[in-house]
Amino acid sequence: MRRTVRRTVLSAVALAATAVLAGTAPAFADGTSPTPAPSVAPTEATPEPSTAPTQAPADLAPSEAATTDPNQEPSQVAEVPKGAPDTGVTPTSTDSGTPGTLIGGGAAAAFALGGAALFVVRRRRATGA
Amino acid sequence: MTVLSRRAFGTGATAAAASLLVGCSSGGEGVRTSGTPSSGATPTQSATGNRTSAKSARAVGRSAPVRLRIPALGVDTPVMRLGLASDGTVQVPPLTDHDQAGWYEHSPTPGQTGPSVILGHVTVGEYGDGVFHDLTRLRRGEKIVARLENGTETEFTVTSLRTVAKADFPVDDVYGNVDRPELRLITCGGPRDENGYLDNVIAFAALTSSTSP
Repeated sequence: MRRTVRRTVLSAVALAATAVLAGTAPAFADGTSPTPAPSVAPTEATPEPSTAPTQAPADLAPSEAATTDPNQEPSQVAEVPKGAPDTGVTPTSTDSGTPGTLIGGGAAAAFALGGAALFVVRRRRATGA
Repeated sequence: MTVLSRRAFGTGATAAAASLLVGCSSGGEGVRTSGTPSSGATPTQSATGNRTSAKSARAVGRSAPVRLRIPALGVDTPVMRLGLASDGTVQVPPLTDHDQAGWYEHSPTPGQTGPSVILGHVTVGEYGDGVFHDLTRLRRGEKIVARLENGTETEFTVTSLRTVAKADFPVDDVYGNVDRPELRLITCGGPRDENGYLDNVIAFAALTSSTSP
């Protein structure tokens, strides 16, 4: 008696578990129902982040209020210049030559001093001083 | 049903409920990951808040600037007027030993609502460093003082510093309308080629106070 009850209970549990697994299977597997959600979500999500950052740098900081209503109000800058200002004339190379000259001169002086010292030492040895 | 069978049935039901919950939590993770981009937008929003934190002062009347001081850089220079060159570009101060800054006269004067534009050289050829040679060292929060012809001193606070390619000069950001008194200091910078500097350095600042004589 007990065995038959156990069997029926166990089989009922097994059946219920199978049914539950079968029900949840589409959620895990790449069936039809789950895939639309992730695929739709990123495509819906991408426009927002992409627009938000691109707007943010342009609107940030001092320029954030800029371009708010350029069409309605007259331009605060009466005449907008073309292009970028040229506010730098590159330094001439005359200055940059100076350090090189100094280094060369210093090396020559050191070489001359070394030669003179060698000459003096040899001379002293020759004279036996 | 016996006690044993009830227990077995209960265990089965619990297992079934647990498996359903697992399915929900995985769905929850999916939501979280899809929400990641919005969390990524948070820093830009906070940056916006920081950049606009400088309190804007009241606008002052129109009066041309005559002197510019940038204490952090040791700059204290007279300001000349600049217009448009024949090719439509903005004029720049002449190359002289005593280089000075120049105010673009078609822009608002410092302290007026709008972007007041002041230009200076970074280097002046054989004369060496220009008045804005160290502009890249300017930091957000540092002060710029423009003295006007009528004696008013307008104090601006740096809100940002940008180095931009000359080819992509941000005309709207520099010359576009704004809803408060602002200042732009412009010079050259960046790498150089045979034609000169390839970039522009632009300091953006907002009026924080003004003192009348």
